[in-house]
Amino acid sequence: MRKFICIQCPLGCEIIVEGERIEGNKCPRGKEYVMQEMKNPRRVLTTTVFIENAIHPMLPVRSNGEIPKELLKECMKILAGVKVKAPVKKGDVIYKNILNTGIDIIASRSMERK
Amino acid sequence: METDVAIIGGGPAGLAAAMEAKKHAKVTLIERNEELGGILQQCIHHGFGNFIFGEALTGPEYAEHFIEQMEGVDVMLNTTVLEIDKNKRMLLSSPDGVFEMEAKAIILAMGCRERTRTQIFIPGTRPAGIYTAGTAQRLINIEGVMLGKHIVILGSGDVGLIMARRLTLEGAKVEGVYEIMPKPGGLTRNIVQCLYDFDIPLHLSHTIVEIVGKRRVEGVFVAKVDENFKPIEETKRFVPCDTLILAVGLIPENELTKKIGIELDDITAGPVVDEGMETSIEGIFACGNVVHVHDLVDDVSFSAIIAGREAAKYANGRKIKRRKIKVKAGENVRYVVPQIINGRDIEEITFYFRVKKEMKNVVTRLLVDGEVRKEKRELIVKPPEMVRLKVKGELVKNANSISIEVKKVA
Amino acid sequence: MKVEKKVEKYARKKGWKVKARLEDGILYLEGEVPSYKEYVEIGRYAGKQKNIEGVVNRLKYKGKKEVKRKKGENKLIGEADVVIIGGGVTGCMIARELSKYKLDIILVEKAEDVACGATKANNAMVHTGIGEKMGTLKQKLCVEGHKMYEELSKQLDFPYEKNGMWIILTKDSFADMPIPSFLGNFIARFIIPRIILRRAKKLGIPMHIVKRKELLKEEPNVTSRALIAVYSPTYGVTSPYLFTIALAENAIDNGVKIMLETEVVDMITEGEEVKEVVTDKGRIKARYVINAAGVYADMVAEMAGAREYTIHPKKGSTLLFDKDYGNYIKHSMTILKFPRMEHYKGGGAMLTFERNIQLGPTLMEVEDREDTSVTAAEIKQIFSRFSLLLPNLPRKGVIAYFAGLRAATFTEDFIIRRAKKVRNFIHVAGIQSPGLAAAPAVAKMVVGLLKESGLEMVEKKDFNPYRKASVVIRELSVEERQKMVEKDARYGKVVCRCEDVTEGEIVDAIHGKIGARNIDAIKRRTRAGMGRCQGSFCLPHVAKILSRETGIPLEEIKKNGNGSNLFIGKAKCLLEEENGN
Repeated sequence: MRKFICIQCPLGCEIIVEGERIEGNKCPRGKEYVMQEMKNPRRVLTTTVFIENAIHPMLPVRSNGEIPKELLKECMKILAGVKVKAPVKKGDVIYKNILNTGIDIIASRSMERK
Repeated sequence: METDVAIIGGGPAGLAAAMEAKKHAKVTLIERNEELGGILQQCIHHGFGNFIFGEALTGPEYAEHFIEQMEGVDVMLNTTVLEIDKNKRMLLSSPDGVFEMEAKAIILAMGCRERTRTQIFIPGTRPAGIYTAGTAQRLINIEGVMLGKHIVILGSGDVGLIMARRLTLEGAKVEGVYEIMPKPGGLTRNIVQCLYDFDIPLHLSHTIVEIVGKRRVEGVFVAKVDENFKPIEETKRFVPCDTLILAVGLIPENELTKKIGIELDDITAGPVVDEGMETSIEGIFACGNVVHVHDLVDDVSFSAIIAGREAAKYANGRKIKRRKIKVKAGENVRYVVPQIINGRDIEEITFYFRVKKEMKNVVTRLLVDGEVRKEKRELIVKPPEMVRLKVKGELVKNANSISIEVKKVA
Repeated sequence: MKVEKKVEKYARKKGWKVKARLEDGILYLEGEVPSYKEYVEIGRYAGKQKNIEGVVNRLKYKGKKEVKRKKGENKLIGEADVVIIGGGVTGCMIARELSKYKLDIILVEKAEDVACGATKANNAMVHTGIGEKMGTLKQKLCVEGHKMYEELSKQLDFPYEKNGMWIILTKDSFADMPIPSFLGNFIARFIIPRIILRRAKKLGIPMHIVKRKELLKEEPNVTSRALIAVYSPTYGVTSPYLFTIALAENAIDNGVKIMLETEVVDMITEGEEVKEVVTDKGRIKARYVINAAGVYADMVAEMAGAREYTIHPKKGSTLLFDKDYGNYIKHSMTILKFPRMEHYKGGGAMLTFERNIQLGPTLMEVEDREDTSVTAAEIKQIFSRFSLLLPNLPRKGVIAYFAGLRAATFTEDFIIRRAKKVRNFIHVAGIQSPGLAAAPAVAKMVVGLLKESGLEMVEKKDFNPYRKASVVIRELSVEERQKMVEKDARYGKVVCRCEDVTEGEIVDAIHGKIGARNIDAIKRRTRAGMGRCQGSFCLPHVAKILSRETGIPLEEIKKNGNGSNLFIGKAKCLLEEENGN
């Protein structure tokens, strides 16, 4: 038996999944959400990477799509070792195709060379 | 120095106001930090701009959209407003000098500060390792330091939840999030994606009763609270940790506002404003979190654009009549912004309000002169989630009594 | 009855096994009592006996911790005519006073800054002496010391103001006494004020009675239950840590060497003399030793073989209010409540120099000499006691609270004298309130004791009594402020928004003669972090400036001393750890 809180709308229905049965959703989107969560939960990753010669030592980055939830920890470890140099433009690819997900990690902002 | 519209604060509110005001007047944007963007630069998570851009952007991405629009605005960085008076004269301090500036209109956009440990009287020692969530966020995301390894978070508002996830992703162990209310304070989306995703326990109806540690935090005592929020002694237990994050509330930063004698709303802790975001002093406007704490930055931008437009109009000599009709907070409404309707020429006015208690299957209503003039059904309303009611300006322009209420659908 | 028998009888009646031994004016207690509470009780009883110069309390009790002697460093790091142990206001005042003479002086302080003990945790009042027990040394030195503040503050450029003090009697003054209220109110109105005035006249302190109507007109927020007040116009307030820093800087200017983070762990004695002071950084040869070690004075005395007293710390907690309430009261005030506790003036609502109201301090016996926690009970106690004075002062006005430990001896008075068995060791112990006010007079007394001990004290011709504080930008006029920014742009960048502190001032604090090396040291010197947001905004900026100016990597910056690291490392350090880096 698994419990989910649907986040598709502010109602936040508590949905219970027992075997084949899905109960508690007040609309079909809830069922879709839960099925996706069970099959292949994915999340956007946002974090920072080290940057040199910029106004701050960290550059905020984000994944340009959703990454399988179970890979987030590994992604964080990989990105911990990444160091970029200013200047960087918002949207620049900082790390391509992380863990073969087809998702890139891109810069959340531009940072000029100091 | 002189300007038409001076905007104090270069965060999301100030930026949006500047973007709009510059179309009609000379704008000076005053920011105390070394860059624009305010709090958005440290909010590296996504979820901003769903309404205004149709995308879930990160804070810095959202900010950059507006920062790119600052051409033609006189931006003063590293500049603090030391003093301000009713005649819209300010004293500024920056590395370039200390000088006076006179503006035709001023927009207050100073945002919020955080409630501190001592304001909630947590007993115990005062070691290193105690941070308010915003400070923690700045230190990790901008200054590039790691705060600790074993974290306890007090407060389940969005800032606390976001930090729970952030710290976990950076390799720390969040022992738990403790919340004094029986229900969580943040958006459900965040409860799921910040706590459940990482198996971080949420302890409702709990608080921290003592901090232990001489030089650095060594742990905290937590306890369940009763219906009067008083700790129940028998439930007291020790949670070892090296870091305590406090996410116990935001307070609109109205020190300057108070100094000029602008009327403040006791409940929002921000200035009383009209539909054009003007305060009780003509020509001084306010927008963003300095008016009331928002959940979504989109709402900040929308109201800031109105402030920018109206401030520019004022600077250009546009006179308006001020009818000063109070907007009443009706049934189940804790507060409404704007608190006053003066009868401006505004096509669409959004009333922002918060409910007193959670209700399902409700209708939110605008009453003008005793009659229901606008209604909207909502599946659920909760105190942590601000509610909006958009109405046509003409509905309230000549009203004699206005109120907003939330009623259960029969 | 002999003193020893009296004390033993008292203990026996309570069922405690105590042996008392009197030797040369010092009463030694040995045996066992159930807990720390009884240990203090019998110690204080012993200390009250006539002609006792000190109580050495060696009683065992359940849970008593063994004092572990730390290891010293062997290398020789200094040589001095006088070594002063302790860098609080007392030690620094003595250092400055001694720097007037042709002497080599070294002051050792175990913390990372001066003023880190009780000096930074009291309520800053420069008492006139009216509130002290008559006939005590602490009262005498308080009255004398108080008179020296005006001149000192001009010479050393530290804040001092005679802001006055109300001693207020209300309908609650005798509420806890077993007498009818009309009698209590009568005593409050007609007897007590006259007793106070008589005492004041004896001590030469100007005070006068103020009737209820006039009191309430001047102080409208005082309770309507007020009956009468005695006003003391010369009561002073200072900044204890700014004063101490000023003393230390002036002492350094005049040749004193101050060694911070240097803890005394032992002493090498020969016959009746201390030869060397052993610290964790090395040994210092000394001709004379001044023991101003506060809450550890008894342990330091023990190292020299001069143990003549035992310290029992008395914690005092204080609540600090937002400057927004700075005009809530015009002068500091206290409420007299009977029965009075001995050696406790009762605290009050005291205005700091900067106009923050302080409520407190409390008084609580604690065993741990490092216990500066503020308990829930103390917070409650402060509100209940002082709501009798200012009933409408709102709780939400509190922005900070802190606690300090009074270094009380069991005789509850200062012990300033030459050691009985060690001819070159001088006790400056038991400095609890009014230690701050008394400090200038304490130092003069120490000079007398040194002369008596045979130390040749020749006055320096080139002693410089003047010291200038570094600039405080918010106190300048706009034009002066502009000039400073033109000189150095960093005086234009405001870092602490709440207290209006600029980057230039923070840099000055870091590079001063006693430079700030951590966040709290910067806070004390500049006020950055003392405002209503308590550093929420400025901490990252202050830490960055500190790192830049000292070369200490940001991730190693400390809040105060060893072990108070703000961070555990750079970003990603825990992930790198997992990566095996």
